[in-house]
Amino acid sequence: MMRASLRSAATVAIATLVVGGVAAGVLPGYWIYLATAVLITAVNLLSIGIVEGRTGMISLCQLSFAGVGAWTVGYLNVAGAPGGLPLWILIGGLAAMPFGIAIGLPALRLRGINLAIVTLGFASAFDAILAANTFPGQTQFLQVPRPYGFDSDEGYFLFVLIVFVLIAAALELLAGARLGSSWLAIRHSERAAAAHGVGIPSAKLRAFAISAFIAGVAGGLLAGYLGTLVADNFTMFGSLSLFAVATMAGAQYAEGAIIGGALVTLFPELLRRLNLPQDLGNVLFAVGAVQALSTGETISESLRRVRGRLLRRRATETVVLNRADLPRRRDHGAAPALTVRDLSVCYGAVVALDDVDFDVPAGSVVGLIGPNGAGKSTLIDAVTGFLPSYEGSIELQGKALEGLLAHKRAQLGVRRTWQTNRIAPDLSVGAYLMLASGGLTTAQLRAALAWIGRLDPDQKVAKIDAATRRILDVAGVVAARPALALLDEPAAGQSYDEALRLAARIAEIPAVFGSAVLLVDHDMDLVRAACASVTVLDFGRVIASGPTAKVLELPAVKTAYLGVDETVAA
Amino acid sequence: MPGGQARPAISGLMMNLYLTAAVAGLAAGGAYALLGVCAVFTYRLVSVVNFVGAAIGAAGAFAFAMLVEQGLPIGVGALAGVIVGAAVGIGVGAIVTKWFAESPASTKAAVAVALLVGLAAIGLRITGGQHPHDFPELIRGSAFRLAGVEVTNASVATLALAVLFTLAANLFLDRSHTGLQLRALSERPVAAELIGIPVHVLSLWVWGVGGAATALALIIIAPQRAPNFLALSLLVVPALAAALIGFFRNFWVTLVGGVAMGMIEGLASVIPGLGEYRTALPFLVILAVLLWSQRGARWDDAR
Repeated sequence: MMRASLRSAATVAIATLVVGGVAAGVLPGYWIYLATAVLITAVNLLSIGIVEGRTGMISLCQLSFAGVGAWTVGYLNVAGAPGGLPLWILIGGLAAMPFGIAIGLPALRLRGINLAIVTLGFASAFDAILAANTFPGQTQFLQVPRPYGFDSDEGYFLFVLIVFVLIAAALELLAGARLGSSWLAIRHSERAAAAHGVGIPSAKLRAFAISAFIAGVAGGLLAGYLGTLVADNFTMFGSLSLFAVATMAGAQYAEGAIIGGALVTLFPELLRRLNLPQDLGNVLFAVGAVQALSTGETISESLRRVRGRLLRRRATETVVLNRADLPRRRDHGAAPALTVRDLSVCYGAVVALDDVDFDVPAGSVVGLIGPNGAGKSTLIDAVTGFLPSYEGSIELQGKALEGLLAHKRAQLGVRRTWQTNRIAPDLSVGAYLMLASGGLTTAQLRAALAWIGRLDPDQKVAKIDAATRRILDVAGVVAARPALALLDEPAAGQSYDEALRLAARIAEIPAVFGSAVLLVDHDMDLVRAACASVTVLDFGRVIASGPTAKVLELPAVKTAYLGVDETVAA
Repeated sequence: MPGGQARPAISGLMMNLYLTAAVAGLAAGGAYALLGVCAVFTYRLVSVVNFVGAAIGAAGAFAFAMLVEQGLPIGVGALAGVIVGAAVGIGVGAIVTKWFAESPASTKAAVAVALLVGLAAIGLRITGGQHPHDFPELIRGSAFRLAGVEVTNASVATLALAVLFTLAANLFLDRSHTGLQLRALSERPVAAELIGIPVHVLSLWVWGVGGAATALALIIIAPQRAPNFLALSLLVVPALAAALIGFFRNFWVTLVGGVAMGMIEGLASVIPGLGEYRTALPFLVILAVLLWSQRGARWDDAR
């Protein structure tokens, strides 16, 4: 939620500024100098945090981006460009972005670990390029000047501190916005994110481009810090080591980035004072990273967990449903929401769906039932665009969906819930609903949560049970008010009373939100209570279709469900 | 026409220069190919993108160099180096298998990167950082002349090794019962364990064999390389580029890709203005493969 992220951005900014300001006043000169290095490294770690910690990708060339930023600053200095270091650093960051986009574009359309490989390749290529080029101005002994008024070590420390705070606060704001939520969703499940209409490649690409920008800024800061630079400042191995540190410390959070920066800067200092070899630091980072990966918890996440336990939770307020606050009904017209004709799907030799014809009229709740393996989930996958191929035609309100990717279909108005839980656990309930619905006012959000079952918007998804997550999934789909909502076994795991309550809610979806509903469930009481009509699938074929009460009494349906032949049994 | 006679002679000379350079890249190409095939091997069998593979081989290669410095005969040293490579491979495999068997591929890849950082740091410390060791030539001399160009025994050896490993890997995976078990293992380790496949032991075998093969390849080509631990560890970049050419599936395509990269690199080294950038080649290859291979959206099975 926007307000929460404003609050946390302000917390980050104030805390860092206070601690940094005190440090600048108290610490002796050498430590100020080291502290500046800590912050510059922390900026670079933040850039990894976006890609790794938030979006779940691996980037191994952050120092190369920093090198692009630093070299740009160097050239601007040699050219005597106006604006001074602050502007040059900004330009340096912007110069790193196209590199990020050019590398990310081919890697991010494909899923998997291509980004790790291509960034490693870029780091290696950049090593070669830097080895062949000296830093601009080096041969004329031209140093990059620090900004006016910030040229002492204390001054430059404050300058770097301000830049760090600006970036960290901006990232907190971004994390609370839809883009930040979609990154977390992608990290947890790309399919679920696509089902909310999030274009996966573009969201990833934006994360990577922003990351390249921040790394470029870090490089510019380093140029002002050291005055002149050498290729050794930006090696591929340095990038790899930084990745290990980010993994260990949890660089998606400001405190994680600072802890990581301190580890990188101060641990070698400690080893030096103990007369131990300084490169042992990398061994520590490797062990720390493996440890964090195996427990699934970074240093900053552990700290946040401990802090969460220490701070007493405020009491959950009981939200009373005020129907006037619910998101307004969207009128989708009278065209049939879904028209399926001759749909066939094969998995190898197995025919999952065989010439299925099927309709969901506008403003209706249609049940789709059938024994396990009948093809119900396959039908939902086909409609929502998660199958590589199918035969036949699927139309949403008369528009053919063939050839459209999953997130495009979601944007057009086909939304679904999942049988398995795919909600990113790091999101809050409120943030998830914002992501799924595409934007609500605070009052609408509270009303939608109260409508489905009194959920606390500030609670983390990780803290709620599986059955509650399912109804949260339903709330997200419904709040988006799509033309067609496909609910895949929403009542699984609910008690009998809860299931009946859910049935009443599902039955009123067309009237309250305007969406037509296709409901898949095994709970016949739910289906009876929610659906005016049902279609029965068995072995990929439609065996019955019509008003609910009539269809459920058909002998063929009972046979399919109970496995007994009614005529014989009678 | 004045000068008309000279031009064919000059271009013949240039051709010869290029050919020499390309053939000189064969040894490196063979090593890239073998490293790439090892990467595909590890990926297909235990679904790890092996960023740490070359570092494992480097450990074996440096064990070889240091043992020979201590006075061990070259052959025995090489054997010891291969064994060290296998042992380090098994050590890395034990970490991955014990804690990350059920993790998604991206987590395993991150673990491999972290282990590369750790192993390279330890390796640099033990081998004395940037101070070069003297790498004795395990295989010396030239095998034959090809179109007037010397082909070294080292090139023939790395190529033969790469072809042999490719052949063996293919036969093993497609034809043997253990290979079939291993393919099941990479998909669903727990399910494989439940039907009685000794998952743990088989995985460690994969890591051990990969480590031994990589160590041998690096022992052969180390004399032609900057002999420091990090430089050898970072040969993982051309190795992964080669593996990507084979889409981390096809051994033969990976083999050809690796050899071709070595030869192109050799060629680039004699072209003025290009030579110093030749290590950027794997990056261009990776970009090209990724651009060529993307068609539509595909979904991970797991997510």
